[in-house]
Amino acid sequence: MISRFKWFSSFAACLAILLLNSCSKATDDHNSVTDPSLNKNLLELIKSNPQLSTFAKYLTQTGYDQVIASTKDYTVFAPSNTAIATLDATVINDPVKLKKFVGNHITAQLCNTNSVTVTKRLLMLSGKYNNMLRAKIELANITTANQYASNGLLQITDNMLPALDNCWEFLNNNSNAAAKQKNFMLSLFRNVYDVTNAIVTGVNPITGDPIYQAGTDSIYTNLFWNKVHDLRNESKQYTLFMLADGTWDSEVAKFLPYYVTNTTDSNTLVTSWNVVKDFAVDTVYDPATIPDTVLSKFGTKLPVEKSAIVKTIKTSNGIVYIMNKLNVQPASKFKTYLIQGENYAGYLVNRRSNTYFREKFNPVTGNNYTDVLVYNHGVSSFWLRYDIEEVPSIKYKAYWVAVNDFILAVPPAVPLTFTQKLAPGLPTATTFPYTTVTEKNYNEVYIGEFTNSKYSPVYNIYLVAAATTVKETNPLMCDYIKLVPSL
Amino acid sequence: MMKRNLILSAVVLLFITGITGCKKLFDIKPKDTLDESQMYQNVYDADAAVIGIYGKFMGLADRYVVLNELRADLLDVTNNADENLRQLSTHTVTESNPYASPKPFYELILNCNDVLEHFLVMKKENKMKEAEFNQRYSDIGALRSFLYLQLGIHYGQVPYVTSSLKNVDDVKNSANFPKLPFNVLLDSLVNFTESLPYKDVYPTGTNLNISVDGYTTEKFYVNKKVLLGDLYLWKNNYQKAAEYYRQVMETGTQGVVDGRYYSFYKLGWDSDGAIDHYISYSRAGDASTLIWDSQWRIMFEQAYGSKGFDREWVWVLPFDSKFQPENSLIKLFSPVGGSYLVQPSQQVFDLWKSETQKVSAQGGAVPYDARGVLSTMTIGGQPVAMKFLYNYINYATQSPASVLTKSGKWFLFRETQLHLRFAEAANRAGKYRLAWGFWNNGISGAYPAPGSDVTLYHNTLSEPYPFNFDARNSGSSGVPYYRSDWYRNIGIRNRANLPNVDIPVADSLLSIESGLIKEEALENAFEGTRWADLLRVAIRRNDPSFIADKVYDKLRKSGISSGAASAARAKLMAKDWYLPFKW
Repeated sequence: MISRFKWFSSFAACLAILLLNSCSKATDDHNSVTDPSLNKNLLELIKSNPQLSTFAKYLTQTGYDQVIASTKDYTVFAPSNTAIATLDATVINDPVKLKKFVGNHITAQLCNTNSVTVTKRLLMLSGKYNNMLRAKIELANITTANQYASNGLLQITDNMLPALDNCWEFLNNNSNAAAKQKNFMLSLFRNVYDVTNAIVTGVNPITGDPIYQAGTDSIYTNLFWNKVHDLRNESKQYTLFMLADGTWDSEVAKFLPYYVTNTTDSNTLVTSWNVVKDFAVDTVYDPATIPDTVLSKFGTKLPVEKSAIVKTIKTSNGIVYIMNKLNVQPASKFKTYLIQGENYAGYLVNRRSNTYFREKFNPVTGNNYTDVLVYNHGVSSFWLRYDIEEVPSIKYKAYWVAVNDFILAVPPAVPLTFTQKLAPGLPTATTFPYTTVTEKNYNEVYIGEFTNSKYSPVYNIYLVAAATTVKETNPLMCDYIKLVPSL
Repeated sequence: MMKRNLILSAVVLLFITGITGCKKLFDIKPKDTLDESQMYQNVYDADAAVIGIYGKFMGLADRYVVLNELRADLLDVTNNADENLRQLSTHTVTESNPYASPKPFYELILNCNDVLEHFLVMKKENKMKEAEFNQRYSDIGALRSFLYLQLGIHYGQVPYVTSSLKNVDDVKNSANFPKLPFNVLLDSLVNFTESLPYKDVYPTGTNLNISVDGYTTEKFYVNKKVLLGDLYLWKNNYQKAAEYYRQVMETGTQGVVDGRYYSFYKLGWDSDGAIDHYISYSRAGDASTLIWDSQWRIMFEQAYGSKGFDREWVWVLPFDSKFQPENSLIKLFSPVGGSYLVQPSQQVFDLWKSETQKVSAQGGAVPYDARGVLSTMTIGGQPVAMKFLYNYINYATQSPASVLTKSGKWFLFRETQLHLRFAEAANRAGKYRLAWGFWNNGISGAYPAPGSDVTLYHNTLSEPYPFNFDARNSGSSGVPYYRSDWYRNIGIRNRANLPNVDIPVADSLLSIESGLIKEEALENAFEGTRWADLLRVAIRRNDPSFIADKVYDKLRKSGISSGAASAARAKLMAKDWYLPFKW
């Protein structure tokens, strides 16, 4: 009995020791890396592929070989030797261009062809973007997809990903850019006040404002970048229309009468600006699918005829069309002004304590609205001034909505009968006569037509009360004023 | 063998002596904590018990608001809300939903029962004076009735447990505690609450009505008469309900005849924006001059003990960063420092939008109810129900003075609810015009005088109590001269700058009742009484559509749960109004 137990326990001990020993080997087998490609980083993977020897050579030349041998994750879109054979010698021999070119094939994201099912815009190491969708990136097809290395993915492609110019670089550098429009757009550089990088040299003892070192308080920038679209921005995509020289001249000539100024030069400048500001949109339109009308940033309709497209240039951040016709209609260019009564910019004298911003219901439109009422202000010909910007030299039809629901607090409630007038340009303008503000009229009232003879960067229009100090007859009341271009 | 038996017996013996010895050996009272048997020694211990109960009651604040508002139509979930809150909003509550569990109510109810039993013992052993006992016993008793009323409203059939149990799960034992239908429960509650020996608030100067930590404690406790009014209103006993509400309305009618006398719980003016709580404009007609730093909005921000606060609020409990519990309402409502789980529904915005204010001297009428503008704010582009947050988020800056200082108040009841419920009872008792007056432009507005002699006008003195009001005001030149108790009563819509509502004669009872409930939505939105109001009227009229259609509209207009609208309507139309009683 005893001996049998002893034998059994020594056997168990042996077994346990055996098991413990074998354990370490067993885990080794289960956890060890068996996939040979995971023992290689991207650089080694590329070098091991004779198909990619040219690309590997450029990697070494540009120093990117060290980048993709690091422990960060990348996706490399490597063109095969046949695909890269046609690379322009000017790129190969220019180290800067070559670095940009190679960098344009590497992104610091993992892009698996199976997971990119909607177009993805990839930021490449060149600072530019490429669009990828499934097994296609820009014009290149991915022939051998999703090879993984220890630090990322390798995609072998049948085409290069050249580092294209962006829209602005194209305009600036490329001989294909239409000369007159290009020159005009390049003439729009101005020094603009911007203290972001200014150096403060002192403080004005009177106002407390900082004093900046001369020359540091402004930046040299292009109006087009600020007011329309910054065509240098790689992260967005634009469509830029450029007019061939003859077309540009005729298009500017067409709009000259609408932007009359004091001198011929400024007339041309203002007109050219107003023509060109509609020509860039922040949507990319492919030549195949561009619609016949494109809406500009400022709401102008651009009629695009496919037959008028002379050249199509793909850029890194969109597309440029050189057109020999882009017949923008003046009626589309000029906008209706809607001036809210309560948003006045000035007054004859401050009567805020007699000014009421009233929120009310309009049964005609079914909407709530806010209007302005100035009552008991005690000023003869009191006026409110409204400022509108960049008004072309054209004729306008004027309307207002002014609801006379002004009821005396003391019974019997009687609506007041009073008049007011619209004075374009000057408060004393007699363009329009005084008009009675009808009781409970929620509709737009047509006032008449007036002409702005000169283009105005800022145009003043006045709402003028009756020439009396009697409070019952000199109120001022307005929901909104509407100016409709009349061509 | 013998030896082993001996050892065994010795061990057994030792065990037995050990067990029997335990009792004496270990029966030593702990020195650093209070044992139950030592707790109730004198009236100060009793006060501590009362405060303890209310402290625990405050832990129910978020649950109370969520159950009463989110299930109804004025409050909606946000995208941040979890599945449990969404279920409450869409009436698809499952048994595992912790918000739906009645357990926290029962825990507090059992605490109340325990305290009540001990109070009885204290009285028997003369550890409390008769008057002291009456006040404290009635308070805790009434709070328990309030909790049971809440249970009835949300769970329908519930067990009515009035003895102290050590384990809350014993409540679930249906053999011992059968579930009472809501209506029977109400009878029990009326009987018990009626029998309470003391029905006023704690007298000033007693230990429980003092000022502590900057708070006057007078409004901490449940108002027993309001509770009785509510219970009778649920029982459709309009006469009794009106009598109790009337008693509360007359709280201020004593002592010196001054502003307080005329305006305390009377919805009366006092020519002071901090007390009047009007919707008003610093220049009438100019909507941009809506007053927000005084008048109507300020009642949610005013300090305990300030005049305006005192005369408006009946029951409010404070949350303060200086003491527990933590303010659970900030977590619920606030996008800053909170989780922003609930928001005003589109339905409540539409209700406010459907009103038009009074025509001003400068012409036109502002086309919405400005109480909406002051009850909500848009913070970071999101609509926020603000009433519970005004002690935390500054109205002007839209941000908290200190994010971590989460002070606030749990609002439970105020004078508008009091007046609207009195009007609800009066209307059902056939006093249509009086009810209309409280709702619209006050008693004198409902009974206008044709001339300066108001002797026969401005009053309802020909009516029996509690419907006899005297609001006579002769003006400064009228003869004879009158300034009666209710002459400053201005009516709820009038106070909010809204015109009177015209009521068709043929259908005045139902029109006025629906109007009163709607007014309570406009005035008291998010304050935790909406579901109860809808349910009470739906039951009274035997008309489930009264509640179902409103919930349907909320869900239909909600961007988050519009898909659940029809199912919720069908469920409520089938009178399936209650939550599953499960924990």
